[in-house]
Amino acid sequence: MTRRPRRPSFAPVFWGSLCLFAVLFALLAYQLGSGSDPSLGGAASRPILVRKIVKRRIVTTVVPSPGASTVSGGPVTTSSAPVVSSAAPAPVTTSAS
Amino acid sequence: MSEHDVLFDAMGSHVRLLIGDPEPGMAPPPAAAERARQFIAEFDAKLSRFKPGSELCALNDDPRPRVPASALLRRAVQAGLSAAERSGGLVDPTLADEIESAGYVGSRAGVPGAPLGAALAEAPPRQPATPNPQARWRRFEVDDEAESIARPPGLRFDTGGAGKGLAADLVAERLRGYSRFIVDCGGDIRIGGPGALVRPYEVFVEHPLTGKRTHVLRLGSGGVATSGLNVRIWRGPDGRYAHHLLDPATGDPAWTGLIGVTALGDTAVEAETLSKAALLSGAEGGRQILAEHGGLLVHDSGQVERVGPLSVRPRIRLPQTAPGGAV
Repeated sequence: MTRRPRRPSFAPVFWGSLCLFAVLFALLAYQLGSGSDPSLGGAASRPILVRKIVKRRIVTTVVPSPGASTVSGGPVTTSSAPVVSSAAPAPVTTSAS
Repeated sequence: MSEHDVLFDAMGSHVRLLIGDPEPGMAPPPAAAERARQFIAEFDAKLSRFKPGSELCALNDDPRPRVPASALLRRAVQAGLSAAERSGGLVDPTLADEIESAGYVGSRAGVPGAPLGAALAEAPPRQPATPNPQARWRRFEVDDEAESIARPPGLRFDTGGAGKGLAADLVAERLRGYSRFIVDCGGDIRIGGPGALVRPYEVFVEHPLTGKRTHVLRLGSGGVATSGLNVRIWRGPDGRYAHHLLDPATGDPAWTGLIGVTALGDTAVEAETLSKAALLSGAEGGRQILAEHGGLLVHDSGQVERVGPLSVRPRIRLPQTAPGGAV
């Protein structure tokens, strides 16, 4: 007649499992907190490129010639020298001349 | 979308150009504007009645019955004759002597006009102007093959009736290929480019008495011009008020009951012709003249009357070319 092995007692199995869980949990928590999440591949992942997008704007400032009037913001006025503007055009006026 | 916007003085008035984007291969708008400015300067130098060295003055002083003439002078004379034909002789280009007798002997650029209200109070009874029965303008002949102009020596020509409108049309011919553009020669305006059909320009109409904007036109093509008594008006040698719009039958300033007319047309020359003819015709005749293309009549009282198809809606029409060939 063979002798059956004796079943381990409950207490060592319970506390041993609990300690192993706590150690593994602490190890994973430490890794996660340090930024090396093992589920994301760790050091083998590709580097992330951060690119700055700069929106280009061209700003034109119109400086009227001495004695001249700009044309923006009102009806056409007379001037002695050509006045150039790249801004939104002011309305054109028809009148007797 | 921005446009190149340039303003300068020429032809005794202001000139303003708005030029949009060029088609591939076209010059940039600033270069096109500079070429247009040079052309207008040449136009003024050749066709001014007030510049003794101009080709127009040479023609008027030449004792020969047939005089060699440049393409530009022939085009200007032809435009004046067409205006006379179109208006039945009301817009008469042969009144140079009469207008000088009325006191308009030099450029009035920058000279403030006499008060229009006071002039109206002293003006004679209102009546429509009528053509000169002699129709002296019919004696001009333009020969493009011989590159000459024939007329009786001593009969002088004045491009003032259609000069600025013609300049606007000729500049517009040079701006084909730009997305949209507007050429404003002293208030005689030509609009063009396919972009203007989609995005029309706003043109303000100035009231001759108040100087305020009295109406807004939204135009996608064609021309618009205004004739009025409020700018070139002065006291004559006899102490009476005079202005530059003469009754061809009498040679005296016309007082017709209208002080300003704005007209629309397919070209700036046509608009200028219609506006002058309507003002000279008085209210009743003016309504008939403006009926086709539309316009505004401003009465002596200051009342503004809209005539014809004129409205604030965009005028969507295919661009049309000015009559005649390029200069």
